[in-house]
Amino acid sequence: MKKPLSSACSSYHACSVSRRHALKVGGLGLLGLNFPWLLRAEEIAKAAKIKPRIKSLILLFQWGGPSHIDMFDMKPDAPEEIRGPHKPISSSADGIQVSEHLPKTAKIMDKVTLIRSMHHTMNNHNSAGYYALTGAAPATDDQRLRDSNDLYPTWGSVVDKFAPNSGEVPTFISYPHVIRDGSITPGQHASFLGKQHDPLFFTQDPNNANFALPELTLPAGISYERLHARRELQKIVDAQTRLMETSAETRGFDTYYEKAMTMLGSEKLRQAFDLSKEPDVMRDAYGRTTYGQSCLLARRLVEHGAKFVTVYFDDSIGGQSTTDGGWDTHGFNDTKMYPIIEKRHLPITEQTLPTLINDLDTRGMLKDTLVVWMGEFGRTPKINGNASRDHWPQCYTTLLAGAGVKKGFVYGASDRDGRYPAENMVRPDDLAATLYHLFGIDPATEVVDRNARPLPIAKGKAVTGIFA
Amino acid sequence: MKARMTLALLACTHGLLPASEAPVSFRNDVMAVLAKGGCNSGPCHGNANGKAGFKISLRGQDADFDYDALVRDMFGRRINTAEPDQSLVLLKATATVAHEGGKRFAKDSLEYELLKKWIAAGAAKDPENTSTVTAIAVSPKSQVLLEPNFKAQLTATATFSDGTVRDISRIAVYEPANLAMKATPDGLVTAENPGETTVMVRYLNQHLPVHLAFVPARPDFKWAKPKANNYVDRHVDAKLKTLRTNPSPVIDDGLFLRRAYLDLLGVVPTENEAKAFVQSKERRKRARLIDALLERPEFAEHWALKWADLLRVEEKALDRKGVELFHRWIRESIANNKPVDQFVREIITARGSTYQNPPANFYRSTRTPTARSETIAQVFLGTRLQCAQCHNHPFDKWTQDDYYDWAGLFARVDYKVLENRYRDNLDKHAFEGEQVVFTAMKGEVKNPRINKDASPRFLGRTQPVDGEQDRLKELATWLTSPENKLFARVQANRIWYHLMGRGIVDPIDDFRATNLPSHPELLDELSADFVKSGYNLKHLIRVIMNSRAYQASALPNDTNADDTINYSHTLVRRLDAEEVLDALSQVTGTPLKFNGYPEGFRAGQIPGVHAVAMRRNKVTGADTFLTVFGKPERLLATEEERSCTTNLGQALQLMTGPALAELLSEKNGRLDKLVASGKPAGEMLNELYWTALTRPPTATETTSLSHHLDQSTDKRAALEDITWALVNSKEFVMRH
Repeated sequence: MKKPLSSACSSYHACSVSRRHALKVGGLGLLGLNFPWLLRAEEIAKAAKIKPRIKSLILLFQWGGPSHIDMFDMKPDAPEEIRGPHKPISSSADGIQVSEHLPKTAKIMDKVTLIRSMHHTMNNHNSAGYYALTGAAPATDDQRLRDSNDLYPTWGSVVDKFAPNSGEVPTFISYPHVIRDGSITPGQHASFLGKQHDPLFFTQDPNNANFALPELTLPAGISYERLHARRELQKIVDAQTRLMETSAETRGFDTYYEKAMTMLGSEKLRQAFDLSKEPDVMRDAYGRTTYGQSCLLARRLVEHGAKFVTVYFDDSIGGQSTTDGGWDTHGFNDTKMYPIIEKRHLPITEQTLPTLINDLDTRGMLKDTLVVWMGEFGRTPKINGNASRDHWPQCYTTLLAGAGVKKGFVYGASDRDGRYPAENMVRPDDLAATLYHLFGIDPATEVVDRNARPLPIAKGKAVTGIFA
Repeated sequence: MKARMTLALLACTHGLLPASEAPVSFRNDVMAVLAKGGCNSGPCHGNANGKAGFKISLRGQDADFDYDALVRDMFGRRINTAEPDQSLVLLKATATVAHEGGKRFAKDSLEYELLKKWIAAGAAKDPENTSTVTAIAVSPKSQVLLEPNFKAQLTATATFSDGTVRDISRIAVYEPANLAMKATPDGLVTAENPGETTVMVRYLNQHLPVHLAFVPARPDFKWAKPKANNYVDRHVDAKLKTLRTNPSPVIDDGLFLRRAYLDLLGVVPTENEAKAFVQSKERRKRARLIDALLERPEFAEHWALKWADLLRVEEKALDRKGVELFHRWIRESIANNKPVDQFVREIITARGSTYQNPPANFYRSTRTPTARSETIAQVFLGTRLQCAQCHNHPFDKWTQDDYYDWAGLFARVDYKVLENRYRDNLDKHAFEGEQVVFTAMKGEVKNPRINKDASPRFLGRTQPVDGEQDRLKELATWLTSPENKLFARVQANRIWYHLMGRGIVDPIDDFRATNLPSHPELLDELSADFVKSGYNLKHLIRVIMNSRAYQASALPNDTNADDTINYSHTLVRRLDAEEVLDALSQVTGTPLKFNGYPEGFRAGQIPGVHAVAMRRNKVTGADTFLTVFGKPERLLATEEERSCTTNLGQALQLMTGPALAELLSEKNGRLDKLVASGKPAGEMLNELYWTALTRPPTATETTSLSHHLDQSTDKRAALEDITWALVNSKEFVMRH
């Protein structure tokens, strides 16, 4: 053993020393309990003090920012320039009204919790998106917030680290877009938790007739056994230098090999991705859109063992077209918000969201699975000069449905015009803490960032008021 | 001593400005409070749309505007001269009433006192003769702090136009660039862990950087006294010694050869080249190798790739013919070692047919005055101006006027589309056919701030250019003149970056007062040397590659494992897309297949982005491989567009992807020849190892892999497996 080193090197050296130690403990390698797993087991033991209330989570991320006032927090008594052109309708839950453009969604409101008092102050898509997806407020509200490993990991990566599944299907899967507004939005990967906790990510369109992941297919003439033998030879070569020991970049690359081997060997995973196994009537019900089929795929992935599935609504903030793009309906370039959400965003939501929740319910999966529907912020209560709405992080609504949370329930409330939370404000920090808590992960669990700073995985408080 | 006494006399009861009798100045005190409280920052009221109905200028760029916003808007409710404590601005800032931005300062703070005093005195504008700040000074300018004393107290003074000097320590803004360091409002900077940071100290429109290094104690540390090969090492070592950090040792000949081949040629050495070099007893053989490699055609090809990335050599805007002509021009310029200043002048002044005069393609790929001015600033002067398009640059000195006056230099660059054979009417950015770049007789860029024509002006100059001269010629002369030190610094730093993996200023196209070089003296000497050599690319490459710092091992020691910016050991990174693919082809002895290029074409020779000749052609496995490994689309004029990070997709490409699978199974390659040779296992392994990894197999490897080969009935399959293992090893895919 080396003698203790100064604090700066301690974490790195602790790692390299225990790695050597682990290698010396013969036998473990044969059992497949090689070093990363060993480390993982220790960390999990430390983190698992809370009883999990959910097994899996499907996050439907509405990039661009949907309008709370036009969907789940209608303000019929407000002046016209606030309430907008749409009327509310009553729903299957007492006292909850939703937009008249969401009649099917209205019928599942008895299965959901609405948080109508979401709040933060990030006005730019990239900083708000990062905040929403990680629960960590960026240092500044800056559009140029650069995606770097100094920033917080996204929720799914935290789950992958502290509550991983044990099967062949990856814990965390995200698709079918990289979201960006100019530059890539931070908050879509594991960041300083390490590449091994990145999601299995792909951009193939599940609505494509030939949807398949070529990554999951072995080349002709190469059996899995042969690939395995090759990997063993590769390990012999890799053991000849100290690169793996000393370079995090190199180690990170190897963890991808580990992941890839598991995936390539898994019949279950191939099944999970095989949308052709679904009857046409089911595929139609979800909607023959990228988003619709992505949600159907999310159900299949969870069914086969995935714990955290993120579906991004679109890759761009959009808002100016009825055929593509996200929810960013400012009315720029003479594109009015109302025809656009009526023709694109609301119908897609109306077709897909209730279908997913009902499908999960019918299959008995809703008691273990939580669906979270949210954007990075809401939209201005006051309609702007373009007859549209701008960014509004001050107050917006997040919808949760299924395991762990109350049914037909509204938590928090916005003020008269939907401008600010009137009660029970919930910040992204609190939402992150809530979801970790539901997974049985203590939000105060410490992780260490690139500067060796100990940080809690969530700085907020779990909103226990929504727990079922 | 005298200065200190003056300061003491000026200080008020808080020991701070201003003297308690002196009237509070709007420009010098209130504006400073708005900055100190963060009120005028981008996320708050300095936002282009303001916040909650209150908008002031970003970082206090416009005091008159801010005065009106504070005193006149909202019917003056923000200010209450009768009851100053009831002023909305104070109630908000202290969070006495709900304030989205939270509490900015306390009621007993200096900030509060200054604002209140100014309001109580009538919230007046400053008298005409109020002095303005002309300079600030910060102490210390840089400091090295030894563990456990990780505390640096910064102080600042401001000099005003009337000659007075004031202590502004308590009212200046302190911003550490490294978020692991913390600064208190009165300028105490602390760190929990070792590291370096720049702290930006700001007061009104002035800012100065301070460099702080927090160094671990390492009581047993002994400077290893490594030998310096040249001035590069003297500068690198001087800093390492201060940081109580020893550099890693020099690598062996095999590793050096591999590194030099990859960095200069983008290919790995062959078995024969490698063995010859390692066995050579020649003195100065490393220096001679560098000289020899610089004369090989692959050198020009490999370094042309880097410029082609920056100059946006891609098929959509340029068309296939333009891409090939422009690329050839770049490649030949490098092969002939054309001085870099001349190379840049030829690009900036290029006009005429994009087919007759290849560098004119530069103005074809960047098609508007602002795109041209931004690109030229970023690529040739390492200056990112984009922020200044809408408002004065928040982290740099550039104003909106600077931005438009600079863009004005390109107002008259125009082009004629002689023909466009591209058939997709939906895509207005795609062209196929000849175009002619020319200078129009008139035309100016509009500066929206003043709603007038901009007055074309070089960056950092106050005098406009003579509008009727050839602006591009004047610009090219000014930009590349030895007096323009920034140009040489940026180009020297770029060459350094490509060899060392990190710029002395990093990112390499973001030079500004708030982004300090890690080794300022080294950058000074490199750029002076570069100018003296006649902007000689090969000369600077020789200097850098002959240094011990370049030849340092990638393996860290006990003192340098955490260093990423001081060149104590070599930074490990993945090979570039083209390098990996070409090496795969060389190891398997099988040519690559690209649609649109002849067999045998290397990936590093591809002039543009898409190798496919026809847009509708199917991409090959090799094309996909390059995309997955981060070959850039060349839509941004920055090195950052090329990705060298690793991901799962890349692992899968190497494990099961079509490109490698085809290379391994192709007939008549290295593997077939090895099988036919009937050589013993040991010799086969030896050839594969030298070819793939530039080294012989170790004893362990020989034992295990010979066993794999001997026990296999299908020799070819066994060789495929071994080759697969070698090219999937980290040694192969990482530059180390």
